[in-house]
Amino acid sequence: MMATSIVEPQTTVPSPRSHHVERLEPLEDFSYDDAIVRKFVTATVLWGLVATLVGLLVAILLVMPKLLEPLGWSSQFLTFGRLRPLHTNAAIFAFAGNSIFAAIYYSTQRLCKARMWSDTLSTLHFWGWQLVILLAAITLPLGITQSKEYAELEWPIDILIAVVWLGFFGGNFMMTLIHRRERHLYVALWFYIATIVTVTVLHVFNNLVIPTGIAKSYPIYAGVQDAFMQWWYGHNAVAFFLTTPFLGLMYYFLPKAAERPVFSYKLSIIHFWSLTFIYIWAGPHHLHYTALPEWASTLGMLFSLMLWMPSWGGMINGLLTLRGAWSKVSSDPVLKFFVVGITFYGMSTFEGPMLSIKSVNGLSHYTDWTIAHVHSGALGWNGMMTFGMIYWLLPRLYQAPLWSKKLAEWHFWLGTMAILLYIVPIYIAGLTQGLMWRAMDDMGRLSSPDFIEAVRASVPLWWFRVGGGAMFVTGIVLMVINHLMTWTHRPKVYDVPVYSARRLAPMPSVPTEIDTPTPTSTLQNAPVLGVAKTLDSWSNMTWHRRWERLPIRFTMFVVVSVVVASLFEIIPTFLIRSNIPTIATVKPYTPLELAGRDIYVSEGCYNCHSQMIRPIVAETKRYGEYSKPGEFIYDHPFQWGSRRIGPDLAREGGRQSSLWHWLHFENPQQVVDGSVMPAFTHLLETSIDFKKVADRVWAANKLGAPYDRELTEGPAMAKQQAEEIAAQIVSQGGPVMRTIEGGKTLLRMDSQAVALIAYLQRMGIDLFKPLDAPEQPATPTPVPAVAN
Amino acid sequence: MLSDLVRAIDYSDCAEVALVLFCVAFALMSYATLRLTRQATDKFASIPLSDKIQDPRVDLRNE
Repeated sequence: MMATSIVEPQTTVPSPRSHHVERLEPLEDFSYDDAIVRKFVTATVLWGLVATLVGLLVAILLVMPKLLEPLGWSSQFLTFGRLRPLHTNAAIFAFAGNSIFAAIYYSTQRLCKARMWSDTLSTLHFWGWQLVILLAAITLPLGITQSKEYAELEWPIDILIAVVWLGFFGGNFMMTLIHRRERHLYVALWFYIATIVTVTVLHVFNNLVIPTGIAKSYPIYAGVQDAFMQWWYGHNAVAFFLTTPFLGLMYYFLPKAAERPVFSYKLSIIHFWSLTFIYIWAGPHHLHYTALPEWASTLGMLFSLMLWMPSWGGMINGLLTLRGAWSKVSSDPVLKFFVVGITFYGMSTFEGPMLSIKSVNGLSHYTDWTIAHVHSGALGWNGMMTFGMIYWLLPRLYQAPLWSKKLAEWHFWLGTMAILLYIVPIYIAGLTQGLMWRAMDDMGRLSSPDFIEAVRASVPLWWFRVGGGAMFVTGIVLMVINHLMTWTHRPKVYDVPVYSARRLAPMPSVPTEIDTPTPTSTLQNAPVLGVAKTLDSWSNMTWHRRWERLPIRFTMFVVVSVVVASLFEIIPTFLIRSNIPTIATVKPYTPLELAGRDIYVSEGCYNCHSQMIRPIVAETKRYGEYSKPGEFIYDHPFQWGSRRIGPDLAREGGRQSSLWHWLHFENPQQVVDGSVMPAFTHLLETSIDFKKVADRVWAANKLGAPYDRELTEGPAMAKQQAEEIAAQIVSQGGPVMRTIEGGKTLLRMDSQAVALIAYLQRMGIDLFKPLDAPEQPATPTPVPAVAN
Repeated sequence: MLSDLVRAIDYSDCAEVALVLFCVAFALMSYATLRLTRQATDKFASIPLSDKIQDPRVDLRNE
């Protein structure tokens, strides 16, 4: 490394207005740590490629569900249900995560005029985060999951995330703020503070679990409460992981690239506090028409609508920052990416509140409309802002000109067109699904009674998505090439400017005019009430500017605004008994059903099937009685899902015979023509680990299930029920055993499929049981005709 | 005593109280932000434009 020294003049500093001489701190030499930024940028580029490739693969699997079957035994790790969480986690935590870390490490040092407090913590953060991503890439295909969207990772990884996020990253960031040399905390830093504290709170409270092993745990919340916590987390993960840090990125890198200050600093302050105040309330809009209490759902909608104003304020602030610089946009790919990114921010933040309106949500929820919305935000806002930042950073980090500006331009146009090619067909698919699900004829019957009809209508549109996805991946490949070639042109030794400056002195006891105006009211001599004078003084914002300079206090205020808002929603949901009325006939799951439920979770069935019938006529006609909060009190974790690629399963119990389910797992297309579900033959060929049933029963009991004999005889009871289910299958025409690899045979009663069938046959039947009726497995309907 | 207090609280009011709290906080914050001087906002907005060290004592000297 080559050091370039930049020395600041040394003077004592009298303040003529305040007649105050500030004590000078000693001069210090420092340089910015760009090596850590280079690491995070490289990780962003690589994980961006991986995340989008996995996304492309899951998109292909929806139109070609048998694509990976030739892989045989290993195809069980590559099903849609297991890969979809890998795609979302890679996109959010690997691609967007590394991107925001690159942005934060680069901009924080320069905004604070200080090197990151600890290079060791920076390095630990980088490698710790990559380890988290690697563990996610290993565990999710193995079916090790908590099944909560964007919080699928199991408890040991959750602990690692907490240590890396708060211990390494948060600690290093806060200490850098404390040791900064710029008095004012620029607004981008506020967004970073909000990101760090809120994500910590969300992560910790949504992941409170009872572990039963190194790779298995159960959330302490059940049913409605678990759903509430999950979507409080899920929505705010979008808000505080995919929005606030990217706004910080926007407020720093956009002025840098445009070489002009942000259009309105006042607007940026209002933007920040509005988002911090409002976002945290909006989570319940993900649970409209579900068993969530009505008041919580309405409150979520109301606050979501309020988000329109600050979000659009932010977008306008971003776009108007380019006033007078629009000529640059035509020639600078960085600004092009930023303009499209900010525009997508505006589109997504318009659409999000619109989707939170109950009547709109009734149509859009569980359909591909949500998927289109998410991708317009993730690809358009997060993706384009990241790409813009990377192209701006590459020449500065590698101290060499960008290898090919033309390639960057190609990336921009390919990416933009790819997003449109992706989202437009998926919007159409979402609308088609929503309208087909609810359509009824003049006689009040469902026009499309078979769920598969909407799937068949969607498949051609899903093919367009594959095309759009492939184009987006191609754009990222161009960026990888540009990154690699720019890196190869780097100097042998990086030039590292060394700055020489003083530390910040303690806050002056006498306020200075610019930094801390004296809080006197302009109404001092006016004939008005004292309250008016106080309000006038208060509104001079002296107090706010003092907070801004005290990072710990400022952080505490952010925490308070987030926590207070959360508690107003969470406490009532957890404390009012009327929110979750119990149902006398709803009993805990049997040991075998618990084992089956674990398989349902592990296979990621919730990625395609909901378990929540909304009180909407078309839905009760299709699926049966709408879901009640009391039906889910033993559900750890809840399995309501968020989309329906397949039909809702809330009342699946007794709907089909056990043999039908067996055949469905073996080859879905043989019982449902046109099904896009993959085969789950491994469930037919893998035996149940009955020993683990005891742990599962213990956990359910600890979480409130009133078990008795199950606690000591759980495995034996599970075997007995498995024999009964297997007998049912055999009596319905199924074989007694199955030949598996190596010529061995597996008795039907020992296969995992039987446990899963036990769980499926239990779904939603308790509500209709007479009081004090003995536990009976659901009565199967006649065996349907098999296609082949 | 504490349990009596908790039992006496009507949680259904939480939503309305929260809405009022939010509106008050938002109104005060907006009003206060709009009162910021142009001089201050221009200074703050220019921070990211330069990586040069802006020692705050320079501000005092330049007054």
